[in-house]
Amino acid sequence: MALFATPAVPARFRFRIDLPQVPVYAWLALVVLIPNLLLIGTSFLSVAEGRIKFEPTLGNYVRLWHSAGFWRLLWKTLQFSLLGAFLGALAAYPMACFVGRAVRNNRSILTVLVLVPLWISLLMRVFSWRLILGQNGVLNSSLVSSGILDTPSSAFLYTGSSVVLTFAYISIPFIFVSTLNAFEKIPQSLIEASQDLGATTVQTFCHVIWPLTRRSLAIGFSLAFLVTVGDYVTPSMVGGINGTTLGVLISSQFGIASNWPFGAALSIALIVAVSVVVGVALWSCPQRGVFSGDETPSGGPPPGARPRLGFIGGSILYGVVVAFLYAPLLLMVVFSFNDSTLQAFPLQRLTFKWYAELAGNSGLIAAAQRSLVVAVCVVLVSSIVGTSFALILHYRNLLYSRAIELLLTLPLAMPSVVLGIVMVLGTEIVGVPPGLARIVIGQASFIMPITMLLVLTRLRRLDPSLLEASLDLGASRLQSFVHVVLPLIRGAAIGGMLLGVTLSADEVMVTLFLAGPSQTLPIWVFNQMRFGFTPSVNAVFTLLGLFALSTVLIGQFISRRRAID
Amino acid sequence: MQQAVGSYVLSLENVAKTYPGNTKRALDRVSFEVAAGEFFSILGPSGSGKTTILRTIAGFEKPDEGRVVMAGGDVTHLPPNRRDLRTVFQSYALFPHLTIGENVQYPLRMSGMGKLERTRKAAEALELVAMEPLAGRLPHLLSGGQRQRAALARAVVSRPQLLLLDEPLGALDLRLRQQMQHTLVSLQKELGIAFVYVTHDQGEALSMSDRVLVMREGRIAQLGRPQDLYFKPRSEFVAEFVGNSNMLPVEFTADHGSYVGSIGGVTFPEMRGDKSGKARVAVRYDNVHIYPAKENSGTSRLSGIVENVLFLGTNIEVDMRCGDLRIMGSLPAGRADSIVAGQAVSIGLDLADASVFHV
Repeated sequence: MALFATPAVPARFRFRIDLPQVPVYAWLALVVLIPNLLLIGTSFLSVAEGRIKFEPTLGNYVRLWHSAGFWRLLWKTLQFSLLGAFLGALAAYPMACFVGRAVRNNRSILTVLVLVPLWISLLMRVFSWRLILGQNGVLNSSLVSSGILDTPSSAFLYTGSSVVLTFAYISIPFIFVSTLNAFEKIPQSLIEASQDLGATTVQTFCHVIWPLTRRSLAIGFSLAFLVTVGDYVTPSMVGGINGTTLGVLISSQFGIASNWPFGAALSIALIVAVSVVVGVALWSCPQRGVFSGDETPSGGPPPGARPRLGFIGGSILYGVVVAFLYAPLLLMVVFSFNDSTLQAFPLQRLTFKWYAELAGNSGLIAAAQRSLVVAVCVVLVSSIVGTSFALILHYRNLLYSRAIELLLTLPLAMPSVVLGIVMVLGTEIVGVPPGLARIVIGQASFIMPITMLLVLTRLRRLDPSLLEASLDLGASRLQSFVHVVLPLIRGAAIGGMLLGVTLSADEVMVTLFLAGPSQTLPIWVFNQMRFGFTPSVNAVFTLLGLFALSTVLIGQFISRRRAID
Repeated sequence: MQQAVGSYVLSLENVAKTYPGNTKRALDRVSFEVAAGEFFSILGPSGSGKTTILRTIAGFEKPDEGRVVMAGGDVTHLPPNRRDLRTVFQSYALFPHLTIGENVQYPLRMSGMGKLERTRKAAEALELVAMEPLAGRLPHLLSGGQRQRAALARAVVSRPQLLLLDEPLGALDLRLRQQMQHTLVSLQKELGIAFVYVTHDQGEALSMSDRVLVMREGRIAQLGRPQDLYFKPRSEFVAEFVGNSNMLPVEFTADHGSYVGSIGGVTFPEMRGDKSGKARVAVRYDNVHIYPAKENSGTSRLSGIVENVLFLGTNIEVDMRCGDLRIMGSLPAGRADSIVAGQAVSIGLDLADASVFHV
């Protein structure tokens, strides 16, 4: 009897560090945890005579708690984003139902058409709404020329409704893409079973389709809400004074007002409020049960189903929404060829002078070069780090790997205004000066998780017996990786790279905090628009849009070719 | 057609269907009737149209021609939710977000029944299939066999006139299959609901059904009682598909006023025909007898070599070669040890009730 045998330590209590895990923990600490802790820490400091006082205080929170203006602003901020996401859902949910369940041919084209705006610069999409709603905008000029109004009205732009409208416009693709998958995933046999059991179409919707899609709707809604609630550019561009939101206030604390601790406290307040909203949205739409996997996959409606009333209604809705999504963008393209400094109809002569003007603009060219450098660096870092992290998370048994994965993706879920501040704090503390390096770190913080998630999803979908088969057939671990795993995840990694390029090239909200004097292209354009408008902006945006579109098309082409292989 | 409405729960009249993009008909003027309380099976290889028949009856497919008539009248153009029948789907199609109890209550809830009553009825239906203790579980927490029984309970809870079953046992292992076959038959007798049961497993169809419809390429190959199909197949296809039969070439020659057949050069006097020339005869595996090669009783025997022996539990299947012919025989498993591959054997054929098909 081994009376004094060392007690067996359960495996999970043993502390062991696996070498490949070190970079994961390092990234987690440096890019996610420390910057966020800094934000929390900063919120307990105060400012005296323009300098930060390093004495813990609850002063900022007390000030917020007693400020009626803050509560009003918070309510208004949430209202804008909630209304925007709600209107977006009203359009996107039925549209996703139509594409996911009623359409059989060209489903992927119909999907891509709705998603393309996601790849087009947010700045461009917001700016295009100014073209429509502004005092000299298309809406006003057509109302005046048709005699409905005597003078151009200022009632369209710089109001709360214009912010809500633009937010809804931004929300539609997010909600569409989240819910589409849920609609596609419902096995046709469930719908048939419901009919067979005596349910009418309405009953089938209420008792089968809605419970199986509401979770995705809540996720899409939350996604759209998160994107718009952290957006301080849109409110300031189309909302003016009336559109001021918490995000605008926060960004000003890190700009003109220069009160970082107060800005940090505002950010924390925003995060808390946002968490409550998202929590309620997800809580009210619970998911129950999982597909057992033995259902026949959905093939859309059975062959031979004739177009019915619902199909026609769906087509009309789809057409209207897509027109809504593209009209502002097309308008901008049209004006970029219009020989007039006024953004109004009727159109003047066709001209290329706005494009020609761009070629001679040294500020623009420098900004474009900078954007290119940033994009290349960000994509390199993100794809290498993201892919390796995905492999480590998938193949190495990390303790709490699920929690680590969630924490790594935290920057994606943060309102961008807050992420911007967090990255300012995180880079400031380790002495990275404002400029390209800061921008690269800041953008990589949220682009890396995208690549990681894409690769991770692909890895999880791989049949684990593929790797076993390869080992069984005499390949070493390294060979198996090179010949089996790598080719299979390449598509996801390339997809992540392309997405990263467009995201990096279009990013404004985070970059604005980090750029300092080194403006990237979208920042340069943003500043141009603030200091005065020239139609050249239309031309820049048209080129940017073309760039984003061609990237998407290349991505589609590659993924399609891979699928055929 | 008056009579069909009276004593039949279902009648298909010249139903034809071609899927868009196909030139071949999936169903080619199919007509049959199902009696009240009957266990009716549709048997056929994949692609023979049996699932199309089922989907047409259920209302998921519209026939191009013909009518589907149920006791209440013509239902050809009625949507699925207004037909008095239920389907047990091959995939079970249990709603993943509803518990087993809620799944079973679903049709009652759709028809607006009160909560109390539908809970009671659902419990009853679940009790029929011994699933009541699991009523509170979600489907993904159940085994395949349990899901199968839940789907069955859901289909019978509102006591339809007719139950359609689309290869419901396809995903189950052998033991469960056999158990479920018994459950199905006793459930059907107990409830008195007519079953239309689609399967490609001839054993299943023969053992459970009152009548079997054999489908081939969208047409009816044969419709009859299991023993008719088994002992009196009307075509080579049915004989091969239903009876586990050897199709052996036979040559008839004139002999004492009628014709006698010979197989592989050996004359079998008990095989009489009414026509000379070449034909094919269906010999079921269990009508093949195997003797040691040296034993010769003087009756007609073929001599062959054992190629393969498959042990199937209650019996063994022996694959033999006699010159150009391949003959499969089925023997009681007790004889497994006396037959080995490579052994020379003498083969007797029981041809008394063998079906002959002239070419």
